[in-house]
Amino acid sequence: MTPTQPAKATSGLDQKALLEAYRTMRTIREFEERLHLEFATGEIPGFVHLYAGEEASATAVCAHLDERDSIASTHRGHGHCIAKGVDVKEMMAEIYGRVTGSCRGKGGSMHIADLSKGMLGANGIVGGGPPLICGTALAAKHQGTGGVGVAFFGDGASNQGTTLEALNLASVWNLPAIFVAENNGYAEATAATWSVACDNIADRAVGFGMPGVIVDGFDFFAVYEAAGEAIERAREGGGPTLIEVKFTRYYGHFEGDQQTYRADEVARARASLDCLKQFRERVTASGRLDTAALDGVDGEVAGLIEAAVAEAKQAPVPTAHDLTTDVYVTY
Amino acid sequence: MTAVGIVANPASGRDIRRLVSGASVFPTAEKASMVRRMLTALGSVGVETVLVSVDLGGISAAVLRGVRNRAAKETPWPHVRFVDDDAVTDSAQDTANAVRRMVAAGAKVIICLGGDGTARVATAALLAGPGCDVPLLSLSTGTNNAFPQMREATVAGLAAGLVATGAVDHGIATTRAHALEVRTGQRTALGLVDVAVSTEPYVGSRALWHPDALTELYCTFAEPDATGLSSIAGLLCPSPRDEPGGVAVRLCPAEQAPTVINAPIAPGLVLPVGVVAWRPLRTGELVEIGTTRGVVSFDGERELELVGTTGATVRLAEDGPLCVDVTAVMSQAARAGLFRSDRPVV
Repeated sequence: MTPTQPAKATSGLDQKALLEAYRTMRTIREFEERLHLEFATGEIPGFVHLYAGEEASATAVCAHLDERDSIASTHRGHGHCIAKGVDVKEMMAEIYGRVTGSCRGKGGSMHIADLSKGMLGANGIVGGGPPLICGTALAAKHQGTGGVGVAFFGDGASNQGTTLEALNLASVWNLPAIFVAENNGYAEATAATWSVACDNIADRAVGFGMPGVIVDGFDFFAVYEAAGEAIERAREGGGPTLIEVKFTRYYGHFEGDQQTYRADEVARARASLDCLKQFRERVTASGRLDTAALDGVDGEVAGLIEAAVAEAKQAPVPTAHDLTTDVYVTY
Repeated sequence: MTAVGIVANPASGRDIRRLVSGASVFPTAEKASMVRRMLTALGSVGVETVLVSVDLGGISAAVLRGVRNRAAKETPWPHVRFVDDDAVTDSAQDTANAVRRMVAAGAKVIICLGGDGTARVATAALLAGPGCDVPLLSLSTGTNNAFPQMREATVAGLAAGLVATGAVDHGIATTRAHALEVRTGQRTALGLVDVAVSTEPYVGSRALWHPDALTELYCTFAEPDATGLSSIAGLLCPSPRDEPGGVAVRLCPAEQAPTVINAPIAPGLVLPVGVVAWRPLRTGELVEIGTTRGVVSFDGERELELVGTTGATVRLAEDGPLCVDVTAVMSQAARAGLFRSDRPVV
């Protein structure tokens, strides 16, 4: 009998890794909470869709990724960008439409991209990300880099043809691709319980010949374990996985959404499920991190976001000349 | 009025074991179909009312469609009442709430569809209240399932119905299972098949599939043909389900162990598990859990983080759930001719 060994325990995070994970989650939260306030002033052009409440997903998935790997995001992309290492000040400047932004101020919230970080872009097209990931995963497979592609998408995108085609293609080509369905319960104002024909997005995995699992999106450790197993499996040639992360977004679909379609679920989530709160309670109860260290991170992050906003507001906007720059890429 | 309760867990069979061990997926449509088949069976043996749990996962919705679309020529179903007194929380609390409501409404038997985890929650709800003598019939729709049975829902429904109506006596129809009671601080939790202690620090994705992290294992029974952590003891020192007493095993990483058992610790995972020592676990014996920092798992699911400040104990209790023995019920029904009718043939 030849025993098969499972992947090594994924929950053995050391102190440094725990603090880093907390810093990322706190940075996303602070970034989004601040945008919530700033957007109301009318200074920010375009739309913003906030990721607050969903931080554990981007953070726990991206904690397993390195420079070989790429991610594709959604219209709700700030969290994915921050977790994959995009510069926070450049992101803020981009959202303000300034030339110091990640895309020189021409993309805004829904098009933040940084290819040098493997961040293929937030995406205004629902279901736009999954096909992109098939491309980068195919490249990684052919080049033998050991890299993986991760597509984050929502419950709305789970019904899009592009997503379903990408799931099929990833399985047919046995790609190192991970599909993270971030199910926050609503596609804009349409409840997933109404619009998704099967009862769990993860159930669709069976039809595409890949494993599908559901994890609690408020629990950093649960997402971390599932993502770790899926990513390790993909790196070793095991093929794609679909992970459904379930949680609630704290704000509306976009800033300004009156949210008449949902009741008081946000208050309950904030009070008892919040990923940052849970993380703090558990790492301090077990003595792995102390409150002072976590508070220290909170202070540093607050300073960073304050500076990011101040610098973004002072940076120049693009000129008419910039209209014709960066339109085409020469290979 | 003879009433039976059916609690179906929409979340069972979806956890990380689909990824790490290739465990099967149990579709919602099949869970709903099981409930519908049970309604037919329960109706055929004279159950008048069936109390059905509600969920947002699609099971109760599919059952409701079945009730509305039932054709007149088909065997009539009992009256179906959906237990919707409490708001759905999409958590284990829904199972506990439904069981309590069903007992209060006079259910004579509770049928539970889920895995070991669902049966554990249903048991805790029964034992904590006036339902401690209401029989439980636990059917498998989960992952490991050492406790619930893999049975056709129709036959399970018939057996449950015969117990509920009193056609088969409780003394023949039911057996009292044992349970493992873990106490730490103010908290008490139950395991139906096994309680394991692991050095893994977090509850995380709940399932347990790294045997080298295991330090202690306690089993109410240990069968050699089981899947799950109890299979470690089952292959080492079997302890039958219907006998008093269980098993206690001390574990360590396989590389350091004097004895190694290759055990099917989850569907699709046959792994070497290091064993230091094992012994019978007497009923009522209180054992101090030796690991102070780690996680306690119940029936293969991590539930309780031990953070080093409070100790924990485990005890094999005699007074677990009262379980319907489907084979015994149907055997008695056959002996008594409950499904038989004779008439002169001319």
